[in-house]
Amino acid sequence: MKIAIKITRRKLAAVLVSGSALARTSAQAQTAAPADPLQAAKDRIKANSDALAKEQLPMAAEPAFQFKA
Amino acid sequence: MSMAELGPEIFFATVAELGAKIAAKEVSVEELVRAFANRLQQLGPRYNALALPLPEAAIRKAKDVDKDIKRGRLRGPLQGIPYGVKDLLSVAGRITTWGAKPYAGQVFDYNATVIDKLDSAGAVLTGKLSMVELAGGGGYRLPSASLFGPGLNPWDLTRWSGGSSSGSATAVAAGLAPFALGSETSGSILTPASYCGVTGLRPTYGLVSRHGAMALSWTLDKIGPFARTADDCGAILQVIAGKDSKDPGSAGKSFYYTPQYARPMKDLKIGYAPIDFTDRADAAARPAFAAALAALKETGVQLIETKLPQFPYGPILSTILSSEQGSIFEPLIASGKVDQLADPAQIAGLKASLEVAAKDYLKAMRIRRAIQDAYATLFAEVDVLVTTGRSGPATPINQPLDAAPATTGGFNGIIQAGNLAGLPALAFPCGFVEKLPVALQVVGPPWSENVLLAIGKAFQAGTDWHKRHP
Repeated sequence: MKIAIKITRRKLAAVLVSGSALARTSAQAQTAAPADPLQAAKDRIKANSDALAKEQLPMAAEPAFQFKA
Repeated sequence: MSMAELGPEIFFATVAELGAKIAAKEVSVEELVRAFANRLQQLGPRYNALALPLPEAAIRKAKDVDKDIKRGRLRGPLQGIPYGVKDLLSVAGRITTWGAKPYAGQVFDYNATVIDKLDSAGAVLTGKLSMVELAGGGGYRLPSASLFGPGLNPWDLTRWSGGSSSGSATAVAAGLAPFALGSETSGSILTPASYCGVTGLRPTYGLVSRHGAMALSWTLDKIGPFARTADDCGAILQVIAGKDSKDPGSAGKSFYYTPQYARPMKDLKIGYAPIDFTDRADAAARPAFAAALAALKETGVQLIETKLPQFPYGPILSTILSSEQGSIFEPLIASGKVDQLADPAQIAGLKASLEVAAKDYLKAMRIRRAIQDAYATLFAEVDVLVTTGRSGPATPINQPLDAAPATTGGFNGIIQAGNLAGLPALAFPCGFVEKLPVALQVVGPPWSENVLLAIGKAFQAGTDWHKRHP
């Protein structure tokens, strides 16, 4: 069975607004440079990925760029 | 009248005032350009603001402009006005370092589009200005992340000028150039404008061509002006904006600065969060911000408490920026020359950026669409948003950028949000804290530059913070 979901971009924004408050990350202040800067950078990428994973998006939500033929 | 007779205050005149002196023949373009070019060469190094002086070419151009004026070939308000550009913009045949050691000998054979546009308007390029290496790509931790050394604040050499357009803001603040161009991917115009006490405009994404500029993030990069006043920024934006087939991100729109058609201030609804001016601001800066908010209200605008749409702006922006910069600088990283950068955090950030998953980039770009829509809804309720330029004055020159305590609430994340949604913003000085400037920023919907400039102009008509100089 094929189910068509129609959602406007405004509605999509409303859904994301309500859900994303939980996913916010707050950077902690640091006073010393990390001992391993590369590992720290990789950890930040992982933390970003985890934060994004918490966001729910309908299939119809397309990226903010377009291919034009 | 000679430059000497005009006195040292001439170096702190606005573009409009200098244009009037040229028109009144109080000073020739050649005299003006010689004076500014000398000053940039002499004082630029004091602030680590100078990347490359261009005095000979500037004087040749100045002589041509004088001839044009003599023949009645008038080209608008920038004709004969000296200026500088961030060293991420190419000037044909000249070194363009992007502020980074691996590119210290780089030369392009073409001008950036914005430089050609300013040249056609009769403005005179006197030099290239310092910047944070690769405009901060990879994520710098220290103000010293530059081929030129840390950007020193003209108000206090123990403080940072802000980045990544460090030299551009410094040059205007210190009277080394009446205006300058910089760029912003996430805060690189608004931060140095705020810290240096000058007016800085981040245009709507796509309004100003990036052709000839270093790419850091194709979907985030913007080029904009620094000047003494909102009025000057409007005149500059009119010249540099416009369609450019050489920039795939070009929106194909022009900009006409029309202060004469500005909406009455009393009709404008400005959204704000009171906590930005109290708990989220540095304690010492709160009185200045309170006074600034009162001054803004005196222009007649309606201030309305507003909340920003809640998104994980930091992770979204960081993911997009990391993905795009990783692709852009992959050859630098692969070559190993990335290790020549000054800031270890930046080196690590660039290397790690190759590991961002495609699914995360796409997810971030999908959420970005929702951010745009959420702000479109918000701007149906208020015309613009106002908050502090930064939470306080310029930070100490040796202080790591991650040393400041993180804050939440209010308009926290507005710099990332504004850049993600491609929104224009204007930062302008609004007071002083311990002899250092602090600023307000106003942010509007896409293509609302005239509204932002009108607010800046009205604020500056009732205050004199923008007239002060080091």
